[in-house]
Amino acid sequence: MKRKPTIFQKEETEINVSPLIDMVFILLIFFIVATSFVNEVGITSSYKDSNSQTDSKRKPLSFNLPGSGQVLLDGSPIGLEGVAPKVRNSSIYEAPSVIIQVSGGAKAGLATQVMDQALLAGAKAVKLTAVSK
Amino acid sequence: MKLRRRSNLDEEDESINVSPLIDVVFILLIFFIVSATFVTLPGVDVTRPRVEKSTSLQKNSVLFALSEKNEIFHAGKSVQLNEVAPLITQAIKEREKPVVIQVDQWADATLLAKIVSAAKKVAPSVSLATLKNR
Repeated sequence: MKRKPTIFQKEETEINVSPLIDMVFILLIFFIVATSFVNEVGITSSYKDSNSQTDSKRKPLSFNLPGSGQVLLDGSPIGLEGVAPKVRNSSIYEAPSVIIQVSGGAKAGLATQVMDQALLAGAKAVKLTAVSK
Repeated sequence: MKLRRRSNLDEEDESINVSPLIDVVFILLIFFIVSATFVTLPGVDVTRPRVEKSTSLQKNSVLFALSEKNEIFHAGKSVQLNEVAPLITQAIKEREKPVVIQVDQWADATLLAKIVSAAKKVAPSVSLATLKNR
């Protein structure tokens, strides 16, 4: 054997770890840089498909959002503040489903706020549908 | 002193013990590997709507953005409405991920509704990103 440990250095044979540390540091820095922490908050619209909605006897509450920026329920304008009470008072037995029908020109911000109000009032499911004129 | 005498004996291999350092670095490395989600951002700034009840969304998600000018963005590129469903299908092929739509306050709600219904067909859940509370 070529590399016979000599008597002098038999205590000091150890693996050189510096390249390992270098590599690990490079990996560490790569993962730190590549990790993008996306912290989104938001609302989730949960509804089942339209075919399963028929087994609910109750008709879903249907809000209309025309392009004028109003919120209509059965044709009468209620404000954004009126959404939550309407949803809350619509039924004492079960949480209602809500359908938001948006027409062209309605703003997504308002639609999101109506969804939020409906969910806040305990709506079971909120569906967003587009109405083609 | 005991230590002093020992260090006099082997003064040649006086070196810092690096094993704790390696331990810590490995732990950090594993943490970052595990938490690396590689989310591709849509790459457009939107004015999120302000709502009252918002919940924290899952971090590992497929992100879309709907800009003020009614353009849909995904991974830094503008995409068409009919491309949304194939993109989601491709993104969640290996692992189920929810879809998050970053919607601009002044975007068209009908387009948002179309995106949501298109995404709903293929994704387990669809969320709308909003402003943080307070």
